[in-house]
Amino acid sequence: MYTIGKVAGLAAITTDTLRYYEKEGLIRPASKTAAGYRQYNDDALRRIRFIKQAQHCGFSLSDIRELLTLKTSDGACCEDVRGMAIQKKLRIAHKLRALQTMSSALDNLIASCDGGEMPIDDCAILDTLENSLQKVS
Amino acid sequence: MRVKIEVIAAPGCKQCAGAQYELRAMATSVLGEENLDWREVNVLEELDYAVALGVLTMPAIAVNGELMCSALPTPAQFRELLTTFRSC
Repeated sequence: MYTIGKVAGLAAITTDTLRYYEKEGLIRPASKTAAGYRQYNDDALRRIRFIKQAQHCGFSLSDIRELLTLKTSDGACCEDVRGMAIQKKLRIAHKLRALQTMSSALDNLIASCDGGEMPIDDCAILDTLENSLQKVS
Repeated sequence: MRVKIEVIAAPGCKQCAGAQYELRAMATSVLGEENLDWREVNVLEELDYAVALGVLTMPAIAVNGELMCSALPTPAQFRELLTTFRSC
């Protein structure tokens, strides 16, 4: 059995994070001491590492809760998990597309200004942003 | 007028495969084979296209290049959707 500090250290997370996982229903201590201290076993350590790895792949805590449920569900199969991974990839691809659009917009702004020590009133970037706002409104 | 229906799904999804079969049969019945341009899009092979359509969940259905259903419609919902295009 591990104390909260020990298991957090082994999993390279903070004790606050571990308590948050517990609050979110992702993990539970295996037992508590008579004094009320949480105690974790190797299963808990594996579960924490699973959560961390899933977060690394972009899954939210809500997704991870679903993955952990699927993991222990008799009726679930690989396809259920694969479907979740594909949908997560789709969401990331949407975000990337939005970021690329922002990046292109920034390219245009940067190209519109030569920099230097021109007075701020003549700043092409601010001017473009201001005119864009007028167009929007 | 031909109607282009695309079902965007992941390969190996049994739920999607079963639904595609039923939906295609219904589309053929409502629109007629000669008016139907049916395409099954493998989301993994055409991820960019799926993203451009706005697909976030699967299976999704696009009609004439526009995302119409982001979840499987019931047969009644799909029939209603098809009827709209039949009358165009």
